[in-house]
Amino acid sequence: MIHLSNVEKVYRTDRIETVALSNINVRVEQGEFISIMGPSGSGKSTLLNVIGLLDVPTGGEVTLNGRLITSYGDRSLARVRNEEIGFIFQTFHLINDLSVVDNVEIPLLYRKMSGAERRKRALKALEQVGLSARVHHFPSQLSGGQQQRVAIARAIVGGPRILLADEPTGNLDSQMGDEVMSILKALNSLEQTTVVMVTHDQRQAEKTARIVRLFDGRQVN
Amino acid sequence: MMRHIWKLVWNRKRANALIVIEILASFLVLYAVTLVGVYFAHNYRQPLGFSYDRVWLVEIDWQRESIELQPELEEEKEAAMMRQLLTAVKEFPEVESAAAMSVVPYSNSTYSSGFTWKGRQVEFMFNRGTTDTAQVLDMHLTAGRWFTEADAAGSSFRPVVINRRLARELFGTENPLGQVVKEEQDKVERRVIGVLEDFRKDGEFSGLQSYMFEHATLGKSKGGQPNNFVLRVRPGVTAAFEEKLTGKLRSMAPTWGFEVKPIEQMRESTLLWQLIPLTIFGVIVGFLLIMVSLGLLGVLWQNVTQRTKEIGLRRALGATAGEVYAQIVSELLVVSTFGLSLGILAVIQFPLLKVVDFISPTVYFTSLVISLGIVYGLTVLCGLYPGWLATRVQPSEALHYE
Amino acid sequence: MLKNYVKIAFKVLLRRKFFTFISLFAISFTLVVLMVAAALLDHMFATFPPETRNDRTITIPYVRASGEHFESTGNPGYGLLDGYCRNLPGAEKFSIFCSHAPVTSYVNGQKTVSYLKRTDGVFWEILDFQFLEGAPYTNENEKNADFVAVINQATRQKFFGSGEAIGKNIELAGERFRVVGVVKNVPDYRQIPFADVWVPISTSKSKVYRTALRGGFVGLVLAHSPADFPAIKAELVSRMKHVQMNETGFNKVEAMAETVLETTAREVSPRRREGNAFELLAAGLVMALLFMLLPTINLININVSRILERSSEIGVRKAFGASSWSLVGQFVVENIILTLVGGTLAVALTYPALAFIGQSRLFLYADLHMNWRIFCYGFGLALFFGLLSGVFPAWKMSRLHPVQALKGGVR
Repeated sequence: MIHLSNVEKVYRTDRIETVALSNINVRVEQGEFISIMGPSGSGKSTLLNVIGLLDVPTGGEVTLNGRLITSYGDRSLARVRNEEIGFIFQTFHLINDLSVVDNVEIPLLYRKMSGAERRKRALKALEQVGLSARVHHFPSQLSGGQQQRVAIARAIVGGPRILLADEPTGNLDSQMGDEVMSILKALNSLEQTTVVMVTHDQRQAEKTARIVRLFDGRQVN
Repeated sequence: MMRHIWKLVWNRKRANALIVIEILASFLVLYAVTLVGVYFAHNYRQPLGFSYDRVWLVEIDWQRESIELQPELEEEKEAAMMRQLLTAVKEFPEVESAAAMSVVPYSNSTYSSGFTWKGRQVEFMFNRGTTDTAQVLDMHLTAGRWFTEADAAGSSFRPVVINRRLARELFGTENPLGQVVKEEQDKVERRVIGVLEDFRKDGEFSGLQSYMFEHATLGKSKGGQPNNFVLRVRPGVTAAFEEKLTGKLRSMAPTWGFEVKPIEQMRESTLLWQLIPLTIFGVIVGFLLIMVSLGLLGVLWQNVTQRTKEIGLRRALGATAGEVYAQIVSELLVVSTFGLSLGILAVIQFPLLKVVDFISPTVYFTSLVISLGIVYGLTVLCGLYPGWLATRVQPSEALHYE
Repeated sequence: MLKNYVKIAFKVLLRRKFFTFISLFAISFTLVVLMVAAALLDHMFATFPPETRNDRTITIPYVRASGEHFESTGNPGYGLLDGYCRNLPGAEKFSIFCSHAPVTSYVNGQKTVSYLKRTDGVFWEILDFQFLEGAPYTNENEKNADFVAVINQATRQKFFGSGEAIGKNIELAGERFRVVGVVKNVPDYRQIPFADVWVPISTSKSKVYRTALRGGFVGLVLAHSPADFPAIKAELVSRMKHVQMNETGFNKVEAMAETVLETTAREVSPRRREGNAFELLAAGLVMALLFMLLPTINLININVSRILERSSEIGVRKAFGASSWSLVGQFVVENIILTLVGGTLAVALTYPALAFIGQSRLFLYADLHMNWRIFCYGFGLALFFGLLSGVFPAWKMSRLHPVQALKGGVR
């Protein structure tokens, strides 16, 4: 499903070259749940960004469902992100000026869809994460765990086949973290959604099928 | 999408309120100046009704020896002298034609009159001219004729020439020629013998007014004698003729004062003084708008910087650069539409309350459309750069920014 | 503490150059417009030669004659001023002059128009003209109807080139006058002294003016002190009741003594009957405030934006114990520094603006300069503007919750 071969990412400023990733080869198959682990600065997030098409690698190839996406333009990348990938972030990244249901609707705004249909799907996604009672609240009125559930609802509302989670439990206490993990597990097993999760929590990583370890931008296995 | 943008704008209403007020205030200021500008431009395109080319003016100061003691005697003497002077002026080879009139084009003086007509008050500007006035000033009559010498031989009625606006006001669609206009206290009736295209004494930028001319005979007449001559000189006559003409007039009437000048000169200064206030306010409003635009640009820029995270998120969730750009500009359009709607509500009061009845609906709406266009244009212009900045947001970096 | 604020203020201003530029543009533009307006008003009304005693002068420029059918308003006549307005209580000197009128002359076949003012001899005692040559004419000249004239510098240039003019003849509207004095040009916005040529009233062709109650003349009273003004005004009103009417149709005449400010107030008042200097000042102030409205909103907007940008700084300060008030103080100080910088810029820009207006055809012999009064207005305005545009954003800033502020957001 996702093939990374010889991926390399180098950041260049005026004088300094920083190698964030080098020679990464990862294959993620449909319906897998894998975690990426490694200490701070090891390139976990960069890798996730490359998988999520937020960052373009400086070398190597990325294939998604057999399509070589390294050569895609902005518009096509945006479409792929919108339709095939869902993002979950450590700090939730909800828009404070919008209510819960409006936040969940955002990915659908970039598709051709009627307002009523959007609303229906957003409510369904919120029901899936157990937040039907809070749809008209604003993010600042919710607890951290609830905010992350809103973020998950937003990630799944477009029916993506891949979920990318960047330390989804990092800002939550263990009980809330477990709740979020169980929702992700359920999505993976019931809907066959591929999940790629970055974490440095060994306990949560162990709940996944496979672990990719990174150190200084290199794969260590 | 529009609803989504509306929600964003509405939920940030406190932050947007200041921008709304700013756009509202800018619109009002701009509208006031545009209104005057459009009013002038509209007036400029209306017929002037006369030509000032090669027309000179002689202002005569009678320096009366006594005031109001024996006015009839005094006036008769003056009239006789005026007749002699006018004949002398016409005899100059440099002069094509000459006439006397009360109020000359582009002069500061005005002479207004009014009466009750069919139960309503009709106001108009008033003037007197001799038989040759229409010829000297090349005034266009759309119907009837100008005064002739035959009119001077005391008839039972007083002939008048009115402009089209007054004709419309008094008689509507009826043929004004031969109609009788009579003031309530007046013993003599006035009869319309001609209709002027117009006579806009204050020049190209002045508003349209009703106008009435009476015949001046430089003889026995009720009311004032005209104390100005207008003359059309032959092509090629230079300013040196002014001295010659003044000398001749002074020698004939040594106690009187004479002032000779081309009307072109008076036109220049009249138009200048009409344009100066508009120019000053125009420049000030121009600067105000630049200032407001820069301010808006700053606010929007700051807004985009502050919302980097949100924009990055949208990009991650599948918005294209174009969609992010459109969002920023649309938000701005919603905010300015809000401010401008309030502005329209404010200016719509004027015609409703009949405060500006001298301004025609065309002028009113043209300036409304122009001001709306300018404010919209400027706000969109202000949104372009911040919008572009928004498209430059790298989602991968924005989402790590804390 | 203040020194610290000032230091931070400059750092902040230098950090965001675009915002600083916008703010400075707005502030200096606003202040330039207000300072140019203040400069024009100052030159119209404040003490400048030749009106060096204008705190003690009051004029009689306006009469209203009424009868059963008519009412006529305008300048008083010589007869009224000469017969009824002399020796008012508290008056030290009294002069009569007529409002200036254009006259034509031909110099070497070239036409020139000059403004002529007819005055008596006392006129030169009340006003302090700066003589470049010769001396003024006197009451004796006025009594003898001598054809003598005082001309200004510009007229000397027009008629005689660069040479001296004393003793030479000048022809105005066909009459010859002997030049006895040359004075510095007086700008036309000083209505009382302004003219190109001054000649005795008695040189007028017709003598009708001597008895007229209405028309063309202005009385100029020099009081012992401004405190005498009310008594002068009251006495004038009572004297008008005894005026012998000599025109048919009128049975009553009212005259008013006014300061220049009151005259202006009357001329701009909607009914043009009575002028209230206080109301004029109030109206001017309201107009200035209305003009400042848009720039103020603009500046508030920019300031609020700047604050949002600095929310983390505010959060840190609050977390380390800064009170809301000290933050308000800090921001207001910053804003005042900004407006003072803008004010300095505005002062610098006012110079060319005044020079430009001076050169335009707006005024004759305009002599517009910056002076310490205008500078003080500008300084005061800048302070006021700074406070006005700084207080609301500062209040908003002080209300930021520290935790929210640290997170970088307000809703």
